[in-house]
Amino acid sequence: MLTFAFIPFLQLNDPAPNIVRSRDRARNLVCVRVEPLQGAVEYPGRIQPPRPRGDDADRSTLVCRERLLRRGLRAPRDEAVLNTLEDRAQDVALRVSSLDPALRDRTWLVETFYDHPEVLDKISFATQNALMAQGLSVSDRHPKVAPGDVEVLTRLDPMEAYPAACARYQATGSVSGTDALLALVALDRRATELQAGLCVDGRWTWLP
Amino acid sequence: MSRALSLVMLWCWALLAPAAWAGPVQDAQQAELERVRREVADKVHLSAYDLLDELVMTWVKEPPFERPTPVVMAGVSVPVGLGTSLQALMENHLSAALTSHPESTVQLVHCPACTAVVVHSGPEGTVVKRGVDDPEVLAKLGEDTGRHALFVDIEAEGAFLVLRARITKLTPELPIVWSHTRSTSATTPSLLRQPTRLTTAAEARQDYLDALRARGPISVPLRLGIRTYATPDNAEQPGVAPPPFLWLQTGVELGTTDARAWTSSVIVGYSFIPQAYQGILAQARVNRLITGRVRSLTRPNLYGFVGAAAISVWGPATGSFSDELLTADQVLLAADEEGPRTSFGTLQFGLDLRVGNRIGMGAFLETMPAFVNSPNIGNYLFVITGFQSVGTEVTFWF
Repeated sequence: MLTFAFIPFLQLNDPAPNIVRSRDRARNLVCVRVEPLQGAVEYPGRIQPPRPRGDDADRSTLVCRERLLRRGLRAPRDEAVLNTLEDRAQDVALRVSSLDPALRDRTWLVETFYDHPEVLDKISFATQNALMAQGLSVSDRHPKVAPGDVEVLTRLDPMEAYPAACARYQATGSVSGTDALLALVALDRRATELQAGLCVDGRWTWLP
Repeated sequence: MSRALSLVMLWCWALLAPAAWAGPVQDAQQAELERVRREVADKVHLSAYDLLDELVMTWVKEPPFERPTPVVMAGVSVPVGLGTSLQALMENHLSAALTSHPESTVQLVHCPACTAVVVHSGPEGTVVKRGVDDPEVLAKLGEDTGRHALFVDIEAEGAFLVLRARITKLTPELPIVWSHTRSTSATTPSLLRQPTRLTTAAEARQDYLDALRARGPISVPLRLGIRTYATPDNAEQPGVAPPPFLWLQTGVELGTTDARAWTSSVIVGYSFIPQAYQGILAQARVNRLITGRVRSLTRPNLYGFVGAAAISVWGPATGSFSDELLTADQVLLAADEEGPRTSFGTLQFGLDLRVGNRIGMGAFLETMPAFVNSPNIGNYLFVITGFQSVGTEVTFWF
């Protein structure tokens, strides 16, 4: 009879595929390991905080949740980019802030080249916020090029077009000597990776 | 010839068939996608509300401006793939929260020229932009420049919802004067703060915890139950079924977590009807919450349970708990005697509907393995084994 009373304490909730969870469903889970203290704050009532004198054993909890948007609701490439948007933005901002310290005094403009306008806006937004979090001055301004320049630039190979556009920004004063332009470019429509380029004083550099 | 003709017809049919079927299939897929989108939007909108509340709370704690400042709501965007109805909900919620909290210093103003797409022709060419993207155009339209524009973006990134906000000063240089990124997980219980009285996430969680822990992990149930026993279905030798038993029970119930998705209880009980019977009972149960993963503080919670009990009864009216046939005459003859004493075990399965973990009512089916073949007790239900008893109960938790 007492065995019944102990059953709830023996429950296992492994996110791996099993009899009641298919592989597809398991793949749809996003799991994050949280420490008891953090877990007690974020999931009150479901994760117990550590006891004042410490727990008997080290414990952490694997918090799993199905993706908010199921597969198929968004284009696979957009899904891949958006799912890791914050990590990508923070990574780029960190790389930018670790460049020449003199660049920290400049006003940063962000330009994104991506074929889905809605996703493009979100990439720019995330990057601008990440740059602000690094203590940089950021502007919402977008550099302009003349219609004639656009006609020429769009006919060039991307590897030539971006440096040429950077030179034109400098020549027209669209990106001035106090500005720096960070461009995020999707060079290949099949790739989910975004290349970061820098336009400073009319010179174009791809960030490593 | 006919074979060649049929091949040609098959080929034509194969070419035409997809065109004929494309419409309905695409419509069905589209309808399914819309249904899924609505479902997701329903799921995320409470979490998005929390993020917006957090945003306003941040401004209340650390105002972005020194004095109330006019700000144009330039854009609220929602996760790619979800509809504009969610966008309208978010805009309304943010407006309501800001209006209720003037101390945030963000004073929403209406500026149609700022958010509308304007076409402006000049020496540099024709420019098609929103006013907030080009303050020079705003100046030419006679609108004030130097205002501020608020942009809010909410995006689903894996299992997390991320809110980004920025305030841009509407001058030709468009400097971003304030920005903020906040992420949460949709698994975090929605804090459901009132827009008129915002609290921090930590305070809201504490309120939630206090409500959950109002009774602590251990509660004491007081239960009044009644068990009835099925009459035997043997027409040739009808035995006499035991009378209904009233039980008063109490014990302890323990939840594994404050969520109380799983609870277990150990309970003892006593039953007494003068001149008829007495009984004692010890019972253990495991309860599983069926309606959700966390017990609700506002809605009734339905639990399923499985349990085991050891029962001992004695008195003149307990002679039916036997494998030997008990007739009506024997019952009458035994009325003045002390009667037998019988002990037996039972297994039970049932449902328990609870309100606020304070009051509840339940029903269960019980099997008594010792009396499966008793001529005195029939079965209410037979699934693998017979269920000879049905019980109902009302419980109060202290």
